[in-house]
Amino acid sequence: MIAAAWIALFAPAAAVVAIALGGTGITRSVAGFLAAGSALVSFVASVVVFAVLLGENPDERTHSSTLWTWLSAGDLKIGAEIQVDPLSVFMMLVVSGVGFLILAYAVGYMNGDAEERRYHAYKALFVFSMLLLVEAGNLVLLLAGWGMVGLSSYLLINFWHQRATAVAAGKKAFIMNAFGDATFVLAIFLLIQRTGSVEFDAVFRSDVVEHGSTASVLIALGLLGGAVAKSAQVPLHTWLPDAMEGPTPVSALIHAATMVTAGVYLIARTNVLFELAPDIQDLAGILGGVTILLAGLIALVQTDIKRVIAYSTMSQIGYMFVAVGLGAYGSGLFHLMTHAFFKALLFMAAGIVIHALSDEQDIRRMGGLGRAMPFTYRVFVVGALSLAAIPPFSGFFSKDSILGAAANAGTLGWILWTAGAIGAFLTALYTFRLLFIVFWGEMTPFAREHLHLKRFEGGLAMAWPVAILAVLSFFGGWLQVPWGWDLVNEWIDPVAQSAAEATGATLVFSVLASLALAVAGIWLAWRWYGRPSDVPERTRRRLPWAARTLERKFYFDEAYDLAFYEPASRKAIFLTQYVEQPLFLASLGELGSSVRAASRRLSSLQTGYVREYAFALAAGVAVLAIVFILVT
Amino acid sequence: MPGPGVAAYLILSVILFATGAFGVLIRRSPLIVLLALEIMLNAGNLALIAFARQTGTGTGQIFALTVMVVAAAEAVVGLGLIVAVSRRHVELDVDKLTTLRG
Repeated sequence: MIAAAWIALFAPAAAVVAIALGGTGITRSVAGFLAAGSALVSFVASVVVFAVLLGENPDERTHSSTLWTWLSAGDLKIGAEIQVDPLSVFMMLVVSGVGFLILAYAVGYMNGDAEERRYHAYKALFVFSMLLLVEAGNLVLLLAGWGMVGLSSYLLINFWHQRATAVAAGKKAFIMNAFGDATFVLAIFLLIQRTGSVEFDAVFRSDVVEHGSTASVLIALGLLGGAVAKSAQVPLHTWLPDAMEGPTPVSALIHAATMVTAGVYLIARTNVLFELAPDIQDLAGILGGVTILLAGLIALVQTDIKRVIAYSTMSQIGYMFVAVGLGAYGSGLFHLMTHAFFKALLFMAAGIVIHALSDEQDIRRMGGLGRAMPFTYRVFVVGALSLAAIPPFSGFFSKDSILGAAANAGTLGWILWTAGAIGAFLTALYTFRLLFIVFWGEMTPFAREHLHLKRFEGGLAMAWPVAILAVLSFFGGWLQVPWGWDLVNEWIDPVAQSAAEATGATLVFSVLASLALAVAGIWLAWRWYGRPSDVPERTRRRLPWAARTLERKFYFDEAYDLAFYEPASRKAIFLTQYVEQPLFLASLGELGSSVRAASRRLSSLQTGYVREYAFALAAGVAVLAIVFILVT
Repeated sequence: MPGPGVAAYLILSVILFATGAFGVLIRRSPLIVLLALEIMLNAGNLALIAFARQTGTGTGQIFALTVMVVAAAEAVVGLGLIVAVSRRHVELDVDKLTTLRG
């Protein structure tokens, strides 16, 4: 069983090596199939592991295996160790399953790109990193996966490296993630200092870190910093929308289904440490709540189809943060799973639209595509209904599981519930705005001119993974039904005991309220965007400052520019102008020319006459002899 | 101990050395310069052997023998250089060989 887990981990790594060594010796489609096939192998192995765990006693489902001692420093030994428990298996299934579908889709999507092989290798590398992250048996190995995930996302975001914007976006993502990595590392250092170990069970069991002590707060804060950066939560969220510069399957894989949920996984994994510092856990929930609202509002005015979905990703991860911040780990992971399904679905459907319109992403130039692309339209509707949390689509069950748990979690719970409920309204509004603008109404002249379709719209290679995801988006939520069964919670509980459950009268209220808000959102979207209307235009004219604030994304980029980039760049310019230029560059030139002049003068001593050399020697010896005589 | 004392030998040695050094400095023909060099070496040898005889030890003689060996080797190299120069039809004059002027 452990062997299967190792296979799941190393299959994508083998694919990377094979593609890299194969080089031009293998065709592009073979590279694609290698990458997708390795993800499939991982998925099958994960299913095997899952099946074995299912047959075991719920309290004995944790297994670990160490291949060798990876690092050792004094008493500290860190092994190349994986841990298989319900939480990691849950993540393995999501990562490898959704990852496989996206990699398969990418074979069709990237077909014909100049550097297709490199792309598939990067994607397999990403899946490997992500599996390493979720399977790691100690914090340092988890950090290794964490960093590699950041690296592969950097490589994939600026995959089209001839585009300056893509390179800038890649750097932005990398730097923001590096900030989170740094706080994560500091937390690990502190843990090592306190507990002398990085093993999960040792760290989580040890009572060295006191409840509510400064150390526990710092550790949780460091972990939270890493989680916030990786999961694009306020205030470290600005990299995610820009990361949409990468190819669409990348957006689906990294920025929707897997990587951005790593922060949620981290908090669920280290829940013991977060419970030692309740303030920080609350902070995680509050950041999630703020992100739900900010991202939802910004998504209302975006005009790039992928950016709308990206902001919705941030907002949905906000829900997961609310859940894990309130201790409802099962609900958070449940939403993580359903979100992976429907968000990958939405991204991939958007990818088909973008492909069909010759790489156009601006929704103002789209419209009326529903009739031309019935399949894409239908799957997009499934994804949108699921995202908007309309029953019986999967998003309904998972989102209401979170909101119901929030309603049972005290005052903070109710505050976050309010944010989540408003978020539900916003989600429905921006999702259906997108749907109506892109698929309803009349075709724009641009769309009519550029639309070109293959059979099955994007081609069969792209259609079938999308179809499977549509099915999963529909049924995926039935794992956990209110007043019915609680499969996800029961599965996760041995690893991360949920502190808040969705039950009772508050759940009824919560479900009805959020459902009403979601329907209201859809209705409003229909009133404004589903038919010719001048309301959006009039609102914009009446509230120009609000529109501007949203279009500028609450000025986060500008603020960071002002706070970090501007001072640094001004300082650098100042130092160049007043220190480097006069002091170093000028003095270097001066130094060189004076040395040259001195050596020119010195070289005239070398006359080339052997006689003079001999005389110099003889004179020197004579002087020495006289000195000797005088001294002795 | 018969014969003149060590001072006489040393005076001869100084005269020989000065002659050699003077020759090296003022002559232009490389052959003569080489010859003058040999005189300087032999002046040294003479002083070594004079001291060896005064102290009655063999150390100075061994030094003198070593110097002779080195002098022979040096003469070979020096004459070889002179032959090589003359083969290139360059005038044999040390003052004309000034390629290394800085």
